[in-house]
Amino acid sequence: MGHEPVAVVGIGQTKHKKRRDDLSIAGLVREAAQRALDDAQMTWSDIDAVVIGKAPDIFEGVMKPELYLADALGGAGKPVFRVHTAGSVGGSTAIVASHLVSSRVHKRVLAVAWEKQSEGNAQFGLGGGKSGSIGAGGAFAPWIRAYIRKSGAPEHIGWQIAVKDRQNALRNPYAHLHLKDISIDKVRESPMMWDPLHFLESCPSSDGAGAIVLTDRAGGEAAAADGRPPAWVLGTSMRSEPSSFNGRDPIRPQAGVDCAWDVYKQAGITDPRRQIDVAELYVPFSWYEPMWLEGHDIAPVGEGWKMVDRGETAFDGSFPVNPSGGVLSSNPIGASGMLRFLEAALQVRGAAGEHQVDGARVALAQAYGAAAQYFAMWAVGSQLPSS
Amino acid sequence: MSTQTSSTIQFPYKRTLGPVISRFFSELTAQRIVGIRSGDRVIVPPMEYDPETGNQLAEDFVEVGPAGTVVSWTWVAEPGKHHPLDRPFAYALIKLDGADTNLLHALDAGSEDAVSTGMRVVPRWRDEPVGRIDDIVAFVPGETPEGPAAGEAQDVQTMDYFSTITYTDVLSPTLERYAASMRAGVIKGQRCPQCNRVFLGRGYCSVDAIILGEEHEEALPDFGVVSNYTIVTPTPYPGQKETEPFARASVVLDGDEMVIAQQQIIGIPVSEIRVGMRVKAQWFPAAERDAAEITSKGWGTVAGFIEGWVHTGEPDEPAEQYMNRVF
Repeated sequence: MGHEPVAVVGIGQTKHKKRRDDLSIAGLVREAAQRALDDAQMTWSDIDAVVIGKAPDIFEGVMKPELYLADALGGAGKPVFRVHTAGSVGGSTAIVASHLVSSRVHKRVLAVAWEKQSEGNAQFGLGGGKSGSIGAGGAFAPWIRAYIRKSGAPEHIGWQIAVKDRQNALRNPYAHLHLKDISIDKVRESPMMWDPLHFLESCPSSDGAGAIVLTDRAGGEAAAADGRPPAWVLGTSMRSEPSSFNGRDPIRPQAGVDCAWDVYKQAGITDPRRQIDVAELYVPFSWYEPMWLEGHDIAPVGEGWKMVDRGETAFDGSFPVNPSGGVLSSNPIGASGMLRFLEAALQVRGAAGEHQVDGARVALAQAYGAAAQYFAMWAVGSQLPSS
Repeated sequence: MSTQTSSTIQFPYKRTLGPVISRFFSELTAQRIVGIRSGDRVIVPPMEYDPETGNQLAEDFVEVGPAGTVVSWTWVAEPGKHHPLDRPFAYALIKLDGADTNLLHALDAGSEDAVSTGMRVVPRWRDEPVGRIDDIVAFVPGETPEGPAAGEAQDVQTMDYFSTITYTDVLSPTLERYAASMRAGVIKGQRCPQCNRVFLGRGYCSVDAIILGEEHEEALPDFGVVSNYTIVTPTPYPGQKETEPFARASVVLDGDEMVIAQQQIIGIPVSEIRVGMRVKAQWFPAAERDAAEITSKGWGTVAGFIEGWVHTGEPDEPAEQYMNRVF
């Protein structure tokens, strides 16, 4: 007996903002979860189990928030799980939930990932509570410098991605940043935050949450019959590697390559560039777009920036990346992976509204975390997988 | 004897309370306690949702108490610094008059003998309310609340939460030897017999997952090459002392290729730091070397022993062969 097919039948997210000062943490996660339940035409009582994900507790200073949030998410008397895999956690949360269905442990699972960055300070948290935090930008800037040097990419590539994702965000009402007048000049002239990264090549700090409802084959087929096409999970994978050892390639981490190919294999993908219609990649700093195109073998090594340069990853390009506006436009850290995963599902359901990519049948979502060492990816499709 | 290090981190978090807890705290500032209706029940403190079903609750607030009945309790004979009172007290579950749920709070009853299930209690209000649960300093026996006359309700939307936590680490034998060696001005690494990689104060090989001990330790050079760097424009946050752009460099030690990350380069402007630059360690004077930064949560750090790295004046190494080495 093979795995149970898994369908995403409900999707919800908050309006992401710098500070959701109208909501408690419980109110924030409930805004996303209620929208996912409404989308699935379910109520709290229909859910068998709840999976909660977020990044380090030091960001809000609420330790083990899953305990406080269990009843806020209708979890009384049900199994509740907490997932934590740094920045990749939103993706891992979706994957853990999907495994609870694919293993036939549960039929209907709610997965919610969130962050309320405004309650604390991520620079403080990432710096271990000390002065002189280098932050995520400071940690990734040297690798970005190495990528630029090795690939010979011109510096406008980073600026171009910063503009593209912000323009995509203008199509997405939930996105945090709506920078109507974004331009290459504005990015180039914005302050240098972590050389070679400019301020506008970096993600914002956001409050936000994302939620999905997953069901088994019968649930997915029932939704489809009701005119609400689900997104079918075609493949899931998580991989990790140590942050520090001699011989590691931090520009194209092996864990990221292995994670991608594990998903491709499950989804029957042999040529990701051709067989995937749209991708949501975790790009908190502009240059990570070409780095992940290469890191997941969508482009040959050294060629990712050329895909960007040719406009192939633009909204109307042949391989659109981050039609939602991506992490560069909304970054509730713990939720950011979930937003990639749920956007992929929206795309193959044909439910992405203004940011719908025409003809999206197979979508890839990816999230990474810590020192580019934790990876979570899934592929979803509009058709029930054949086996 | 084992070596301990301790470190404290603290942060002033700011909570947004949402519509329901805001109302509860706002009412507290006027010495009123409100619950929320959920079906036939009144839940205190009020919640945004029914905790049993998850269903959203209408914002139908009900004033309760202020007196109530002790449902259960436990005696705290020796209060610590984080307890709400500095003298022995009880933590009590109190069912306020008109409520259907129990409120957990401190009960200042003087002695354990004075506490019993079923006893009647009332709030002792804080002199100057701030809109927090400890606007009720404690409950006290009786039917008449204590404290100043009630004032106007304040509009409370947020709550400051000052968090502080102190960690005490007991250093592993590997880290103790590492710290002793650093005090003597020698960087000692552990070389994995299987893959030949070197690690600082870790006690195991990250790649082969085998234990590394004293027999795998060797002195490493305290000079090498800047493999990459970050120039950070500091953002302000509580505890941040940096105000001007600062650099953090990764240094690959000669020969063994061990990387030491987040190092300061001393003696040259930030703008002149470059990949491939040859540097050597500038040690703190022996008397000033300090192991406080070494904790069992991480691994070997040179912080507290090496102040920074200075350019040796030798020609640069080719950048490309080093750039990938950051952590």
